Amino acid sequence: MYRSQALAIKYFSAAMILFGVMTLFGLVSAYYYLNSDFLFGILPFNIAKIIHINTLVIWLLMGFMGSIYWFLPGELGRETAGIWAAEALFYVFCTAVAVVAVVFIFVQYGGSNEAALWFINQGRKYVEAPRWAALGIVVIMVVFAYNVIGTAVAARQTTGIITVLMIDLIPLILLYLIAFPAISNMSADLFWWWWLVHLWVEATWEVLIGCIMALALMQLLGTSRRIVETWLYIEVALVLGTGILGLGHHYFWIGTPSYWLTIGGFFSALEPLPLLGMVVHAVYDAGAQHMKTTNRPALYWMMAEAFGNFIGAGVWGFMITLPQVNLYAHGTQWTVSHGHFAFWGAYSCGVISVLYLVLQNTRNLAFVDGSLWKWSFAALNLGLVGMTGALLVSGFVQAFVERAIGGSTLNAFISGQENAWFVDGMVARFLLAIVFTGGYVVLVWDVLTLGRRAPAVATVAAAQ
Amino acid sequence: MSGLATLETGLLLGLYALLAGIWGILWALTQLRQAPIIGLLAAAAYGLHTLVALIIILWTPLGFGWKCLIVGSSLVFLALPPMTWRLLQRTHDYERSEHDRESSQHSRRLMARL
Amino acid sequence: MAFSDPAFWRAGAVSTITVMSIVLIMLTIDSLAAISPGGSHVPPYTVINQHIDYKFDSNHGFDAPVIGAAEPLFGKTLDNAAAAELIDRGKMVIQSRACIDCHTFFGNGAYYAPDLTKAWLDPDWEGWQAVTGADTREGAMVKFLMDPEQYRTWTRGMPNLGITEPEAQAVVAYLKWMAAVDTNGFPPNFNQIEKQR
Repeated sequence: MYRSQALAIKYFSAAMILFGVMTLFGLVSAYYYLNSDFLFGILPFNIAKIIHINTLVIWLLMGFMGSIYWFLPGELGRETAGIWAAEALFYVFCTAVAVVAVVFIFVQYGGSNEAALWFINQGRKYVEAPRWAALGIVVIMVVFAYNVIGTAVAARQTTGIITVLMIDLIPLILLYLIAFPAISNMSADLFWWWWLVHLWVEATWEVLIGCIMALALMQLLGTSRRIVETWLYIEVALVLGTGILGLGHHYFWIGTPSYWLTIGGFFSALEPLPLLGMVVHAVYDAGAQHMKTTNRPALYWMMAEAFGNFIGAGVWGFMITLPQVNLYAHGTQWTVSHGHFAFWGAYSCGVISVLYLVLQNTRNLAFVDGSLWKWSFAALNLGLVGMTGALLVSGFVQAFVERAIGGSTLNAFISGQENAWFVDGMVARFLLAIVFTGGYVVLVWDVLTLGRRAPAVATVAAAQ
Repeated sequence: MSGLATLETGLLLGLYALLAGIWGILWALTQLRQAPIIGLLAAAAYGLHTLVALIIILWTPLGFGWKCLIVGSSLVFLALPPMTWRLLQRTHDYERSEHDRESSQHSRRLMARL
Repeated sequence: MAFSDPAFWRAGAVSTITVMSIVLIMLTIDSLAAISPGGSHVPPYTVINQHIDYKFDSNHGFDAPVIGAAEPLFGKTLDNAAAAELIDRGKMVIQSRACIDCHTFFGNGAYYAPDLTKAWLDPDWEGWQAVTGADTREGAMVKFLMDPEQYRTWTRGMPNLGITEPEAQAVVAYLKWMAAVDTNGFPPNFNQIEKQR
């Protein structure tokens, strides 16, 4: 096994732990809506939420990095360049994440000064981590980029997929620099902040997961390189073709000129189209294999990725992307409904798929199946979709009561939050979050015991 | 736009996109299964999608330009699954023919040596 | 056949990304001018010295801020430099206390607490003047921010974040400035229902 692949396993392990932390703090955040006195004065909502959304970003980033570290040596025929640096930085990364989390929980806030931003909390959504940690993330990502580019240079060769990846990493890292400034003007702050968030999750991350899925497909289904590369270029063209100006759907209400209503609305309305293409492609691949594979969970999670991406990001996004609707839906649980489903479908399912591919290899399994993965697949997906549905109900009500009827005053906000349907939606969300959590626990159990359980592993014959 | 009209338009837009997705999936399945019932369901899904598009155009307070976008998107949704499938077949067939060509070239070289 | 050739699609990807990126950069340059304080959509920081309102603009078809007569904040008229300093400090408070992780600003943030885009204009502050014993709206807001647990608005309370008086004043100034930003009509109908009542 290459050192890069051993490192990949470490990254996947850390990613799985952070997934658990994310889920735990998601449960806590969801519970506050049902009982606002819970941990009041001890752990405020915003701290729980900060940990929830920051671990979301980090667990996915670690999953992406693990995937690339896993596939890279096989792609380029040699050990990853600078692997010693990556190995050391992995421990720095994990330690930094732990320190940041501990400071968030126990220190929480500083004064209104630069020191607080450098050492405690930057207070900008998704990038609350203090500047020292943000600097660390930049270093880690630069080394990661070096690992990828340096390996291609040392191997004196590259592939289409790796070339796309290398080019993608440059804007991905540069965009993260937007995590540093504290801009007084909220319009300008949010303008640039959306360059980071949107051009990460609706552009550079899409390309990154596209590269990972291309690499995974070659291993999972034996699809030829030429085919996955062709489709990667098509996906990049369509996703970025719609997503770059689709950034404008975040520029409706932040004080920007009104031409963004048309531009942002139009291009983001086109964003579901490439995602439908991906779904058709997934059905084609499934059909070509008759759903037969030596790794059933990997295939099913990859299918979930294609479908979840289309429905969570595409359909749910389409509901609220036109400015006429967004005016009322903006800043409500409708947004939350979309956000949870989109992140899950577009990224989480793909990372879990690769995790099972890695496990097949590390546990020397000719065939991966069983009942545990099915239970976790069902619970995680039903839990997530259920949460999304519950949040949609609450979001509807909030959009109607708070924005349309109430005019978004404090009293309107309270009316929305106290509405019976809203409350029922939040209760249902919490209950389904528990289902999701159960799915996570079973996933971890499956991952820990796969290939180590009696009876003995199925033979190749059983795979046919 | 009134609040209720907003909610309803948002719902309709979601249904519109979802039905387009169902149409795409079912259309793709008809290529795999060749079962008439799946073909009928696919047509029904697109029919419902068109109905929802019509409701959006006739009944919601969206502006003219946005309604044109709905019409245009519906046409693209109609064409997208067959286009995607054809391209998939073409790329896979090209791959197979290249493989066959290389195999037959290999066989010819082998025969020439014997 | 070109469609089977990855190079065809690679060229398509490169050209699409190039064109879209150029358009984005051009629009960004234009937007940055509009959103700078004093630009077409964002008022200068000295707007905190004036009365702010929010009314339906029939030209644009949505609600827009209306900047009125002199109405100094905390009884003091500030020049550009002093106003900017207050706004800078207000934003530092907002970031250091991670307000955006409970509240929304222009609808962005977290949804546990109210949107603060037009919080300066909220009709409830009139009642809070009596509760807090403050003479002015800004006085009531400062008292609330300094001890939100004492002046709980409803069952879901805001925790005490250790906000000092100068910090609270800076936040209030920030909220007054934010209320004057032209957000293309967000939030819709703000306070219209209350006014009709």
